[in-house]
Amino acid sequence: MPLSIGSLTKHVNMAACMTENGSERKLEFFLKVPFPSEREATIALQSLSPDPEPRKGGITKNLDLSGQTLSVRWTADEARILRVSVSSFLDHLCLVMETMDVFGPPVSQ
Amino acid sequence: MTVVIGFEGSANKIGVGIIRDGEVLSNPRRTYITPPGQGFLPGETAKHHRGVILTVLQEALDEAGLKAADIDCVAYTKGPGMGAPLVTVAIVARTVAQLWGKPLLGVNHCIGHIEMGRLITNAQNPTVLYVSGGNTQVIAYSERRYRIFGETIDIAVGNCLDRFARVIKISNDPSPGYNIEQMAKKGTKYIELPYTVKGMDVSFSGILSYIEDAAHKLLSASQCSPEDLCFSLQETVFAMLVEITERAMAHCGSQEVLIVGGVGCNLRLQEMMGVMCKERGARLFATDESFCIDNGAMIAQAGWEMFRSGQVTELSDSWITQRYRTDEVEVTWRD
Repeated sequence: MPLSIGSLTKHVNMAACMTENGSERKLEFFLKVPFPSEREATIALQSLSPDPEPRKGGITKNLDLSGQTLSVRWTADEARILRVSVSSFLDHLCLVMETMDVFGPPVSQ
Repeated sequence: MTVVIGFEGSANKIGVGIIRDGEVLSNPRRTYITPPGQGFLPGETAKHHRGVILTVLQEALDEAGLKAADIDCVAYTKGPGMGAPLVTVAIVARTVAQLWGKPLLGVNHCIGHIEMGRLITNAQNPTVLYVSGGNTQVIAYSERRYRIFGETIDIAVGNCLDRFARVIKISNDPSPGYNIEQMAKKGTKYIELPYTVKGMDVSFSGILSYIEDAAHKLLSASQCSPEDLCFSLQETVFAMLVEITERAMAHCGSQEVLIVGGVGCNLRLQEMMGVMCKERGARLFATDESFCIDNGAMIAQAGWEMFRSGQVTELSDSWITQRYRTDEVEVTWRD
């Protein structure tokens, strides 16, 4: 059964924390998104990973796949930079999930 | 039989089109229109596209009477254009390509315009004037590349027109350029503006600064009307475009001109270009606003050509790019 936008807030675990890394203080943000199948999680990963971050410095973003779960990890120098990146990503994630809702499920390979 | 679906959203138009072997099966489109005096910003444009793209996609399929299984290839605009809207559209294209198990093709937006122009008009080997809000280039095909013979060294001609429209607060519905064209028809007084052709190239940012300044002075002193300014601006910038097109034609020994891009809808530009062509014994080709203005079918058409000549875009290479030169693409589908 496709994952709908309404259930997004229930299933997503998010944590934001500040960590000290020597003299550097970077913000970290974690996002885990479960999908109904590994195939759909892979589709989401491949749709969301190709474009580079618009902002060159001050932010890193790493996407990872583990079974049916897509996980994303950000590190950022400033909260406002982090907010923009996470906000954009969530908009794009919603778009992927909505597209899957309307035009899925994936065809059998 | 090859059916390609194309996604376009590099500026404020979002379109999805389906082409089957040179036949346009559907080409729905939506335009993000801002209030008078305002331009469109990337984030808001992307938000607009996100809100309608799936609806437009469904419309494209329904109008064509096709299902996902009937599609052979998913084409989308890789660039050039505005970053946020490009990403939005690419994400949907990538997702449906994977959902449907179809190959993906990243298309150069400028080449989309050219290939659509060629398809609709059947021009054989024209000198192409590509003029829009984002681009101004004179292009001719040579040895597997669309070569840029002349271009703007700063802003596009459409950008100049659009930003002038904001100064005098013309409506952006259906587009600022269209409304400038209508007003220009009522202009009677010619205001002299800088004429800035630079060899094979053109420049518009100086003209824009000048006319923004002149507009404030002349309008407040009631020395001319907004219609006169619209008229004068069009006459000036279009004459410049005709000049650089003619220069390229002379270099290439070309007897055909094809105008593509949103500004190509302008009938005054077509008229002026027509006069030059007639003097040279050349033929002028232009398309109507469904194909001049950014649309999905043009991306599908360029994708159709690319796909049939064996090109495909891997997902990891499907990143969008705001800068993408027309001559970067190897035109494998022409000799």
